[in-house]
Amino acid sequence: MNPLSRFPFGNCWRNTTASVLGMALLFVAVGMTAATLVALVDGVDALALATATGITALLGAALFHVATPGSRDVAAIFNAVGATWVVASVLGALPYLLAGTFATVGRSWSVVLADALFESVSGFSTSGSTVFGAHNLIEAQGAGILLYRQLTQWAGGMGIVVLVVMVLPALSSSGLGLIDAEAPGMGVDRLAPRIKATAARFWSLYLGFTLAVAVSFLLAGMGPFDAVAHALSTASTGGFSTKDASIGHWDSVAVEGVVVVAMIIGGASFALHNSALRERKFGYFRDSEFRAYVAVLGLSASLITVLLLGDQTGMVRAFRSAVFNVVAFGTSSGFSNATGAGTTGDFAAWASGPQLVLLLLMVFGGCTGSTSGGVKIMRLRVGMGHAYRTLRSLRRPRALLPVRLGSTAISDSMVERIAGFMVVYGLLVVAGTLVVAALGVDLVSSFGGVISALGNMGPALGEAGPTASYSDAYPTPARMVLAVLMLVGRLEIFPMLLMLVAPYRVLDGVTRGTRIQLRRRLR
Amino acid sequence: MSRPVGSGERSLIHHGATWTSWATASIWAVSAAIGAAGLLAMAAGLVDLFGDGDDTAALLVTGGSAGLLAAVLAVWVRPPVRIRHADILCAVTGCLILFIVAVAGILVVIEPSTTLVDAFFRAATLGTTTALEVGPVDKTDYAARFLVGGTQWLGGIGALLVAVAVLPFFGAGREFADRSRRGGRRPMAPNPSRAARNLAIVHGLATTVTLLGFLVVGMDPFDAVLLAMATASTGGLFSGGDLEDAAVQWVAIAGMAIAGTSLVVLWRLGVGRSRNLLRSVELRTYLGLLIVAPAAFLLWTDGSGIDGIRRAIFTVTAAVTTTGFPMSPGGTWAPAAPVLLLGLVSIGPMTGSTGGGFQILRHRILMRVAVRELLRQLHPRAIITARLGGRIAAEDTLTQVVVTQFLFVSVLFGTAGVVAIAGLDLATALAAAVHATSTAGPVRTLDGSLVDVGLWPTTARLALVPAMVIGRLSVYPAIVALGAGTALIHHRLRLGRGPRAAVSPLSVVSPVDGVDR
Repeated sequence: MNPLSRFPFGNCWRNTTASVLGMALLFVAVGMTAATLVALVDGVDALALATATGITALLGAALFHVATPGSRDVAAIFNAVGATWVVASVLGALPYLLAGTFATVGRSWSVVLADALFESVSGFSTSGSTVFGAHNLIEAQGAGILLYRQLTQWAGGMGIVVLVVMVLPALSSSGLGLIDAEAPGMGVDRLAPRIKATAARFWSLYLGFTLAVAVSFLLAGMGPFDAVAHALSTASTGGFSTKDASIGHWDSVAVEGVVVVAMIIGGASFALHNSALRERKFGYFRDSEFRAYVAVLGLSASLITVLLLGDQTGMVRAFRSAVFNVVAFGTSSGFSNATGAGTTGDFAAWASGPQLVLLLLMVFGGCTGSTSGGVKIMRLRVGMGHAYRTLRSLRRPRALLPVRLGSTAISDSMVERIAGFMVVYGLLVVAGTLVVAALGVDLVSSFGGVISALGNMGPALGEAGPTASYSDAYPTPARMVLAVLMLVGRLEIFPMLLMLVAPYRVLDGVTRGTRIQLRRRLR
Repeated sequence: MSRPVGSGERSLIHHGATWTSWATASIWAVSAAIGAAGLLAMAAGLVDLFGDGDDTAALLVTGGSAGLLAAVLAVWVRPPVRIRHADILCAVTGCLILFIVAVAGILVVIEPSTTLVDAFFRAATLGTTTALEVGPVDKTDYAARFLVGGTQWLGGIGALLVAVAVLPFFGAGREFADRSRRGGRRPMAPNPSRAARNLAIVHGLATTVTLLGFLVVGMDPFDAVLLAMATASTGGLFSGGDLEDAAVQWVAIAGMAIAGTSLVVLWRLGVGRSRNLLRSVELRTYLGLLIVAPAAFLLWTDGSGIDGIRRAIFTVTAAVTTTGFPMSPGGTWAPAAPVLLLGLVSIGPMTGSTGGGFQILRHRILMRVAVRELLRQLHPRAIITARLGGRIAAEDTLTQVVVTQFLFVSVLFGTAGVVAIAGLDLATALAAAVHATSTAGPVRTLDGSLVDVGLWPTTARLALVPAMVIGRLSVYPAIVALGAGTALIHHRLRLGRGPRAAVSPLSVVSPVDGVDR
């Protein structure tokens, strides 16, 4: 029974967005509560986290109590998903603001606010870009804030809305649309006959995977707190760390090995994991996208190893750096194994050839239905197939040439949708680069930053390398542009771009009468 | 299938069976490339008489022999009734590559100290009108200077031929050509041969007008001819008179603006069909770019006064039209200024002009596709069309432009990758790839200063050549040729022997051979 049912104004507002948002904020508050408990034990930032929890929970509960799901058309769904992510990211900045995490000496309130927002958006969108740096060390923060930071990535990895669909019975009919709008890739795989069960299965897989990674980290030699914290950001392919040097802090082959394997699994489709675990079918290499994904990672790692051999001290070190960074970029995780600026793991110090390979990997991303960002391997394969078919049709104008993925022919409408997505993606990259450059950033940093933000990558090329801070690399307005692009990239463009259509329609409907009257009077 | 000029005609010296489509197109490509290079060599030889004339004999002999060979090849061919579109696109690519090789050969003849790689790279930048300069040309060497201007001009004409007379009839962009005769109109490109004739007239007139402009402002006649050729072709490589002169720059700005305008627009102006010209969104966008972009550029550079404004307009017009006359920055550039120029270079001028880049109409189509996709997200079952100039655009056109963009970006990143591996820094590698694919020079560093391409490693320079060729041919023909080459190799490997056409071009007797069956 709903514990809020005794209060007045229950279910008086038919609005899908408010309903989904209310529940999502309650989930965010649960994460904040966990961080508050850790902060209480640690003795740092507990009050700030508790206050943030209270505000978020209160807002969430109020919205959940007042609102009931309304319209479920596409525009309403996009609005619900987009608004949930925006509001969750904004309220997610509260702990940083209340704890004064970024309020270092000499910083104006607007910069502090912008930094808190950026870190929150970066967390929820699983980007892993950070404004922490030499001026404000990660390791100087309390355990509560650090755990909260990791939890934002974990929540963002599988998606807050998927969680909402799992528990809100009223959303069962529009649940697939909501999950589809939030999940990365070309439509979501139905893992169970019911939508609620599908959402629950996604989250149970995710939870189990996170636990397995945490145990692996413990066995590899990490402390319990770091193991749990890194498991949260590894399973979500987020990339946040509790250490300033990220994974490079441990400089351990075992830890790096666990991260690499976990990132590869996180970058693969969860539908494949489900099939492997529940149906006992190890169908990974029967899936053409997974084969292509592994091939891209393998080829890139080999190429970079060869290119690094000239610069690095030894084959083993070159191979280790190449594999780690290739997987970190290819799965859009963004961890770093650099032990310091200019060391072997610091890709910003590499020659431009390997850096360009990393740039391409940022665009590629992982598999559809995974927690990774980027364009996704399947879309790229369909795009290549589409180009190949168009060229072949010049030689064989009368032939019927389908675009195939493995042995499956892709429908023309799907091909068109993917081509349209890639066009919009390309236009966003160009427009974003121009805007960021206009704000005073050089070509490589602006281009790399935009691709990194859209691909939810984390570190970028140029000034925003693995050992650099975004607050040093980009001016505040540019960081805000990148934050918006992170959300756009996390939701795969359309929900964010179209989230205002539903409110516009409502506004249009409300003001139509007035406008008609005005027009008549003017005549 | 279309019936190109000359197909099905009987050969004057060969009385056997008709050739295959593949063989005919190949021989025509060789003939055209060698013929053009031969004519250029002979003209350069004659021009050299204004100087010391030391290269005249060598150039006349080389050019004459090449011309003779081209003529023999042209009359030797016995074309089939129909020629495949793909073969024509392959021939166009082959023709450009052969032309570049031939010009490189001529450069080696007149400048024996030049290395083969330098000559090849220079020929490629000239033939593709890219203007990535490798060292200055000796101002007293009239033959070399004419060769630079002439090669660019022929490269410009070649690009126009591809854009107006080849691609709309044998590949992509059918909607881009001016073909309709409705309402008593005089279309520019009703068919390939008429298109070729009309574009030669319009391009010739544009060059002449630019030349007259340079003469009026008091330029030396020879310099004026060379600069007019470099301007009209959007080549941008000129070694001669003073490009810093204000009057010369204003004329060059006007010349570049004309060169970046679609030939169809110029044709309509010429035949008196200019009434609704400004309804063209592409023309308005182009003019808007030429007005707005210099203002933004001025904002990010510290230029001021009439001199600063003129330099900004000149630099931006050179970027938009992909002419790229090299001009050093007047003062301090903000990081956004070179990024803006790079963006303008990749946008390029109007479709159907001598300029490179992705071109405005294609960008407009991409915007339409993007908007359509957004609408489709909201109305998944609706049939949503994209309109261009008030008419519904064919799905084929949209598909081809999207695919061209995909290939354009792939070529760009592939080139940047090779150039970066060859040793250039990331910013320069990306800029070089954008410039090469858009056929625009010169490459600039982050502070706007010009990069000396001559200092780059040989591998990096050679890696840019395919991108320049692909960019100059609007991507399609080069990729089709690449595909055909790959298919041929694959066929050979699979069967252990070549396809029929490769074994003997004269062996097929069917008059309809070459038709895609």
